[in-house]
Amino acid sequence: MFSLAHSLRQTLKLLTRNKVGFAGLLGILFFLTMAFIMPLFVPIDARTHMDRIYAAPSAEHIFGTDFQGRDVFSQLVHGARDVIIIAVLTGAMSTTIAVVLGSLSALLGGWLDSAIMTVADFWLAIPTFPLLVVLASLVKLDNVILLALILSLLSWATLTRAIRSQVLSLRQRDYVEASRSLGMGTRHIIFNEILPNMMSYIAISLILAMTSAVYAQAGLAFLGLIPFSDNNSWGVTIQLAWTKGAVFFKNSFLYIMAPVLAIALFQLSLVSFTRSLEEVFNPRLRAG
Amino acid sequence: MAAQTIQPGSISLPVPVAQPSLWQRISRNYVARRVLKAVLTIFAVVTVTFFIIRLMPGNPVEIFIQEQMALYNLSYQDAKNQAGALMSIDLDAPVPQQYADYMSHLLRGDLGESYRSRGTKVASIIRQFLPWTLFSVGTALLISFTVGVGLGMLMAYRRETIVDYALSTLASIVSSVPNYLIAIIVIVVFGTQWKVINYAAMRGSLSPGVHPGFTPKFIGDVLFHALLPISIYVLTTIGGWMLAMKSSTVATLEEDYVTVARARGLKDGRIMTSYIGRNASLPLFTQLAINIGFVVGGSVLIESIFVYQGIGQQLLKAITQRDYPVMQGIFLIITVSVVAANLLADLLYGRLDPRIRVGQAETK
Amino acid sequence: MTNAALVVDDLWVEYPARRGVVKAVRGVSFELRRGETLALIGESGSGKTTLGLTLVRLLPKVARIKHGRILFQSDGKTTDVLTLSAESLRQFRWRDCAMVFQGAQNALNPVLRIESQFLDTAKAHGLTDVAQIKERAIELMKMVQLDPARVLSSYPHELSGGMRQRVLIALGLLLKPQIIILDEPTTALDILTQRSIIDVLRKLKTQLDFSLIFISHDLSLAAELADRVATLYAGTIVEIGNVFDIFSHPSHPYTLALTRSVPTVMGEMHELASIPGSPPDLIDLPEGCAFHPRCPFSTRECQIEEPTLETVGQDQQAACWHWRDVKP
Repeated sequence: MFSLAHSLRQTLKLLTRNKVGFAGLLGILFFLTMAFIMPLFVPIDARTHMDRIYAAPSAEHIFGTDFQGRDVFSQLVHGARDVIIIAVLTGAMSTTIAVVLGSLSALLGGWLDSAIMTVADFWLAIPTFPLLVVLASLVKLDNVILLALILSLLSWATLTRAIRSQVLSLRQRDYVEASRSLGMGTRHIIFNEILPNMMSYIAISLILAMTSAVYAQAGLAFLGLIPFSDNNSWGVTIQLAWTKGAVFFKNSFLYIMAPVLAIALFQLSLVSFTRSLEEVFNPRLRAG
Repeated sequence: MAAQTIQPGSISLPVPVAQPSLWQRISRNYVARRVLKAVLTIFAVVTVTFFIIRLMPGNPVEIFIQEQMALYNLSYQDAKNQAGALMSIDLDAPVPQQYADYMSHLLRGDLGESYRSRGTKVASIIRQFLPWTLFSVGTALLISFTVGVGLGMLMAYRRETIVDYALSTLASIVSSVPNYLIAIIVIVVFGTQWKVINYAAMRGSLSPGVHPGFTPKFIGDVLFHALLPISIYVLTTIGGWMLAMKSSTVATLEEDYVTVARARGLKDGRIMTSYIGRNASLPLFTQLAINIGFVVGGSVLIESIFVYQGIGQQLLKAITQRDYPVMQGIFLIITVSVVAANLLADLLYGRLDPRIRVGQAETK
Repeated sequence: MTNAALVVDDLWVEYPARRGVVKAVRGVSFELRRGETLALIGESGSGKTTLGLTLVRLLPKVARIKHGRILFQSDGKTTDVLTLSAESLRQFRWRDCAMVFQGAQNALNPVLRIESQFLDTAKAHGLTDVAQIKERAIELMKMVQLDPARVLSSYPHELSGGMRQRVLIALGLLLKPQIIILDEPTTALDILTQRSIIDVLRKLKTQLDFSLIFISHDLSLAAELADRVATLYAGTIVEIGNVFDIFSHPSHPYTLALTRSVPTVMGEMHELASIPGSPPDLIDLPEGCAFHPRCPFSTRECQIEEPTLETVGQDQQAACWHWRDVKP
């Protein structure tokens, strides 16, 4: 128990080391709070107030109101959840697929490796977003899990290749050779030698998979290809704002910019956080 | 991409060599290999799209048939025949037969007819709108790559100075934010708020009343309208090139041949271009493929934002209208363009890096 | 002094590291006589590479040349290399003094053919007659025993390590420099290739007129090629003299130890001795003579004051308080 607390403290210390990474971490935590805790305190404003269209920011409406007089801030708060859930789900699924396929491919080699790589090569040639758009028209994307599944199926190829090359390079390192010559089994080698050294790589891949998931789902929502839900995700809000011409009015600035900046800042937080992750898992990077 | 180094022995014995078969000759020749791979990929994509769209729930062909039945009071069979005629295949035939029909039409350049705009061939839609996308995306990729590489080298030469830190930060930020959001931010901030750009006028691909032709007026108008989309493409991809080139250049600066080049008394300019520049930019070509796919894919969004009449916009239109033949045709063309562009990038890389040109006869 | 091609006078070079300042070259002085081959022998960490790089001013930016002069003498004129302007330095390099590096693995631009690299070098120094340059390149290829047609049209990765080293040597001769510096010319090559490089160098010395410095850890190489030998320890020259004298009666314990650690193929089997201890830390050097911790002859005197070079023979100098006691 003590060692767990100790290593947690150590990890925390390391995470705070890199300023950029730490800022990213704070950002992520902020958005997590916004998605899961704040909705408990901020009510959904569903009624139309025709007298308050595009109102300026005030104490009551921190970010002003939209084209129907509804509070922008509450839309923002409630729109965070879907975005984050999809990002996490997609990231987790595609990273898992990539790790499994990539390691198998690298470690078992032979025809399995060639087969997987050929399919991956072919898959990589297909431009993902157009395919996504086509699929969106064929399949009704109102289910968060379904969307995450499709997103991860589309992005497995890049990640798998990356994981595979990482495993390949690790496989040839001296300590793996040493393990092998000591007679340690494949299972031991995978779990004790290779995976621990790849943790940072996997974590970073996960985060990057999340960023592309956010890109894809917000993009789909923006094009109007995701059916509405009660909690309009940020992408849907942007789409609404866009179609209502919010870009053209000075007063609607916040209505369109708030969700845009929310997504942008979330992406930035994710990317910045990867810097910390590099340091946590790669002791050699830590400045002496 | 692994660069293979050949270490031939310095002793060469005369060995009788059998004439290599065609397959062997192809697999040894870099160019032939890549071309073959590209062709096979396109073929695979065509096949897979054909079958996937058939087997997906929400089959647009079925939907169309149902619609036609409702709209024109046709029997199922009649509606089906119509659908088939528009796609130049017989929907009653077994699926493999349909596939064969489809392929044979494809090879002749017949991609079927639009469901929504009767009488318009898909191929003509593509011919009309594809050049606009190729122009905007192509120009953007070119600018982004060359300027990005140049800036990256600058950052490497001036590393750890303000210039480097500023550019690196900017590059990281702009690369992380989705490109369509950057587009919106640019429109809102520079257009509506600061009134620096006239978004309303710059939308679309041509001003009304301007006719195509090689006139300065036309060309000027095209550029005026393409400026925003191209700028967005460039802005959102240049960061990646900058950072990649910077780290590649930093690594190249440490290489022995650079020190030796200085010891040989070569001029700084020559070292910068032919010694550092050429070698540092080589690893970037592997990124080019991903980049091309990404920018072309993003055209669906960017063209929508700027109402730029390109193939991305048309794909969107076809999707919202459930115009299946157009959808399939455009998706195909987009994929083919990406594969072709990647092939070009690969071939260019082969030309630039002599270590890659494996397969020259080993007579050493 | 007029028959010296290069005179190094009291050179001090250091560079900052995390732990402190690395004093890589400490008060090195020697002269390179016209037409001779001088071997600079030392272990890794003795400062020999730094010394070589300093001669052509190719040190990394962080390095500081604290003191000294490097006098290049030619046509009756003497110039201090350390005071050359950037452009004059560029011209000086390779035209007057060519430094050929070790580990020719990566010394040539991978994307240019060998011939282009010859042309590059020539053009950078003002030669414009392409046909003439190509002819000279062919000539040089033959001199280093390489097939001109094949090698000149190849890319570096198509040649073996030994071939690349020979290309570098040929390239070094392109502008007919007065001084050639070879840094570890045979390290990282297999024994057969080493032999061929040594033969090539010997032949070149008889055919052409240049002064050669070669830097190595391999004393036996010196025996083959050098006229004079200088042994380097902890950034300073501890002994310098005629090659025969050095081998028959070394006057510095380090030199003695070096000669003992080279096995002889014929002759009596004398005891092979490796030098106990490890090379000194150039950041934190011991007081007095840098070699005393490993020296069998050391006394209290050695721990207090560092000896300077004094004449111990007709053409031999050594820096040791007990040089008289040093006998093979």
